[in-house]
Order: sequence, then C-alpha cells, then structure tokens
Amino acid sequence: MPLLQIKNLKKKFDKKNILKGVDLTINKGEVIVIIGPSGSGKTTLLKNINFLEQPTSGEMNFKGHLINLQKLNKQNELLLRRHTAMVFQNYSLFKNKTALENITEGLIYGKKMDKNKANQIALKELNAVNLSDKKDSYPAQLSGGQQQRIGIARATALDPDLILFDEPTSALDPELVGTVIDDIDNLANKGQTMIVVTHLMSFAKRIGTKILFFEDGQIKDSGTPDKIFNHPDNKRVEEFLSAIAQDK
Amino acid sequence: MNWGFMFKSFPKLLSVLPITLYLSIIGTLIGLILAILIAIGREKKIVILTPILNLFVSVMRGVPTIVQIYIVYYGLPRLIYALFEHGANSKAITLSSMTIGVVAFALNSSANLSEAIRAAYHSVDHSQYDAALSVGMTPYEAIKRIVLPQLIPNFIPNFTNVFLDIIKDTSLVYNIGIVEIMGKANIIASFAFNYLEAYLDALVIYLIVCFIFARILSWLENIIRRRVFA
Ligand SMILES: Nc1ncnc2c1ncn2[C@@H]1O[C@H](COP(=O)(O)OP(=O)(O)OP(=O)(O)O)[C@@H](O)[C@H]1O
Ligand SMILES: [Mg+2]
Repeated sequence: MPLLQIKNLKKKFDKKNILKGVDLTINKGEVIVIIGPSGSGKTTLLKNINFLEQPTSGEMNFKGHLINLQKLNKQNELLLRRHTAMVFQNYSLFKNKTALENITEGLIYGKKMDKNKANQIALKELNAVNLSDKKDSYPAQLSGGQQQRIGIARATALDPDLILFDEPTSALDPELVGTVIDDIDNLANKGQTMIVVTHLMSFAKRIGTKILFFEDGQIKDSGTPDKIFNHPDNKRVEEFLSAIAQDK
Repeated sequence: MNWGFMFKSFPKLLSVLPITLYLSIIGTLIGLILAILIAIGREKKIVILTPILNLFVSVMRGVPTIVQIYIVYYGLPRLIYALFEHGANSKAITLSSMTIGVVAFALNSSANLSEAIRAAYHSVDHSQYDAALSVGMTPYEAIKRIVLPQLIPNFIPNFTNVFLDIIKDTSLVYNIGIVEIMGKANIIASFAFNYLEAYLDALVIYLIVCFIFARILSWLENIIRRRVFA
C-alpha cells in the first residue's frame, strides 16, 4: 500500500485555480522531485499536503486513513502534521528559540515526548549535522547554511514518514549549497521518504527516484530521472530545462 | 513671573497626579483588552463583525478625543438607560465622571492599540506559524509559543506611543468636571491670574511622568527582546 495517495487535489485562491486536479502517489522510501516554472503552484502543492493551506477539494489516503480534503478536521490536520515534516525555503527556524529548542519544540509538543528524551534526540541530531557547538545559538546568530541544516535536523528528529522540502537550497549562498545537499542525500540513502521541490537539476537527478514536471497547477509529465531529463513525453519539459540551463 | 507661586503650587498639582494616572492606566488596560479582541476580530475576517470593527477603528481615529469624551459623557448614560431600564418607574442613570473618563479612554486607546497589535502581528513572518504547525503544534500552541513571544517586543514601542498620548489626553477631562492636573492648574491659576506659573507646573509634571513611563517601557522592551531572541 502506498504511504500517501492523493486524488484530484484542487486549490483555489479567491477565484483563481492554482492546483487543477493533482494525482500523486508516493511509496515508502521513494524520493519524488518536483520541478517546474516559478508560480506554477509547487509550494502550494506541498502546503496542501500537510494542510498548511486548506485544499479546495480532492481525496487523500495517508497510511490507510481516507481523508476527504474538502472537509478537513483537527484530527486529519494533526495526523498529517505529526507524521510528516517540512523544510522551508527561508529555513523558518523559530527565531525565539535556540538551535536545540528548535528541534525539541516539535518533539515535546508534536510528539508529546518528555523534555529529557527530547533534548537527547536533539543533541544527537545536531551532532549528525556537525552543529552541536551551536546548540545554544539563536537563528539570528547562524549562517543560512547552518540554519537550513538545523531546519533539516528539526524535520528528521521527528522521525516522520514523509519530509516535504520546498526549495531547501534556493536562499543559500552558492558555496553553502553543497553541505545542505549532502545532508539531504544522506537522508535519501537511509531510505527517508520525501518530496523535494528544487530548481537544481543535478540535485534532482542525483536523489530523485521519480521526477514530476509541474506547470500551471498540473503534473504535465512524470517518470524516472532518465526519462524526464533525456526523453520526456511533453516537449514543455525540454523547453523548461533549456531555459534553466541558460540561466546558469 | 511669580516663582514663589509656581513653587508653592507644584505640590498641589502633584496631589491630583493619582487621578491622571488612574484614568490613563485603567483606561489603557481596559483598552488593551478590547484591542486584543478587536485585532482578533479584524484579522479573522468574520462576516458583519469585521466590517463593524473596521468602521469603529476608523471613526475613533478620525474624531478628536474631546469629541469622543463628550459623546461618552452625554451618550453613555442614555445608552445604558435604553438598554437596561424599562418600565414606568425606572430612574435616570448617573455615572461618575471618572467612570465616563475611563470608558472614553478605554474606547479611544482600544482603536489605536488594535492597530498596534495588528502591526506587531504582521511583523512576525507568517512562515513562523506554518513551521510551528508543521512540527505538530496545535494552532493555539503555535501562537502561544512561537508567534506571541516574537510579537510582544515589536508591540511595546507602539504601545508606549498610545499610552503617552492617553496620559496627555487626560488633560481634556477637566471639561467634564474631573479635577486632574490640568483642572487643578486652571483652578489654582484663576484666583490670581497666575496662568503661566500653573501651566508650567503642569508642563513639568507631564514631562516627568511621560519620561518615566517611556523609560520603564523601553527597559521592559529590551529585557523581553533579549529573553526572546538571544
Ligand atoms: N496565499 C495565497 N493567496 C493568493 N494567491 C496565492 C497564495 N499563495 C500562492 N498564491 C498564488 O498561487 C500561485 C502559485 O504559487 P506557488 O508559491 O505555489 O508557486 P511556486 O511554484 O512555488 O513558485 P516558486 O517556484 O516561485 O516558488 C501564484 O500565482 C501565487 O500568486
Ligand atoms: Mg515556491
């Protein structure tokens, strides 16, 4: 059984259709990479998966729980949020919390862990990203790269079934991108299930088990990295890829 | 210039300072509670209620304080009468001028404070709230643990402005018969036309009071900011 299955997800803002019926299935251990032009609705799609935005309509099956997306309730919201995690483009570390507390907040309030246990896990996570010496630093005292690696540690500490990454490297200085990508790659190698939105095509090829080309609120093409990057069905993919290549 | 008179009058003016402080502090505190409700009502975008609150805030901000005081002074007793007193032998309502003053300043500050709260709320990046939900906090926990602590230090400077304005505006209520600093100054001065001396006394008191509150609140802001962000 797939971990997450979404059928005909639609999202309107005001009267504008932003997501126009998205179907998506992800199995345990898969890494789905979403590529596509700016404004196509990629962030909106991720936020509709953990219900940071209220979907307009559609159906979801998450670990066997059937959810009517038109009628969300608190249980549905907490179910998704307590079994998934998200890594944000602008890091979004809690500015009023230390690096360590950024990780423990979710453990204590999301996972209902006691404080000692949460601290232990958080220290281990900080260690894993080589930032244990920064445990008492506030986000304002950390570089973008350090913040994003803590953002990733905050997500993995929750031991989620699924992590949603929204352009995790696009706010970083070029020289800091490498370490963050390596952290995400390590996670993928450990079998972490994730959905990653990115504009870095080499990164997409490296970690994706499946690539979705997203445009105008719809999945226009999908397949293995080899298929999408070498012989896509939709010629818009080629145009998009060559436009991106020219940016570089 | 009668320095002796000014010197002698100063303690007399100081003796009514508690009235000024009572009106401004109680008025602003009640105003703050109202402002929190108004700000929530305006942010939540509730049918009918939100436009009414928007209108209330625009009206309060677009009308001189003295007009508001008079309207409360003449209007509030009638409103209470109309709401609660029916039947033939009901009596007219009398409210003390102090009550009227507190109500007027509570309403007046609530409008400006609700704007200050909204500005402070919007100064906290919305993704802070999203991130808190994404790690499994409930909306209540997200607001309490992540949004509010960041909002409060941003709110204090604007709160200070509103509060100091209210302290200064209490000088208007001698118009409805309250003898606070300005009222006392008028009374003392009128015996021998020592207006300048009496008003200079008032100036010194307002200046010192406002200065002290400004310092206390900015000290508070710094403490909170340091506890929140470092
Ligand atoms: N809260 C909102 N209210 C109204 N419109 C919104 C809102 N959020 C997003 N949109 C609109 O939805 C569309 C898709 O936005 P989204 O951020 O999902 O795109 P994206 O694919 O993530 O783009 P980018 O690559 O630039 O991050 C845009 O046209 C945007 O203006
Ligand atoms: Mg986006």
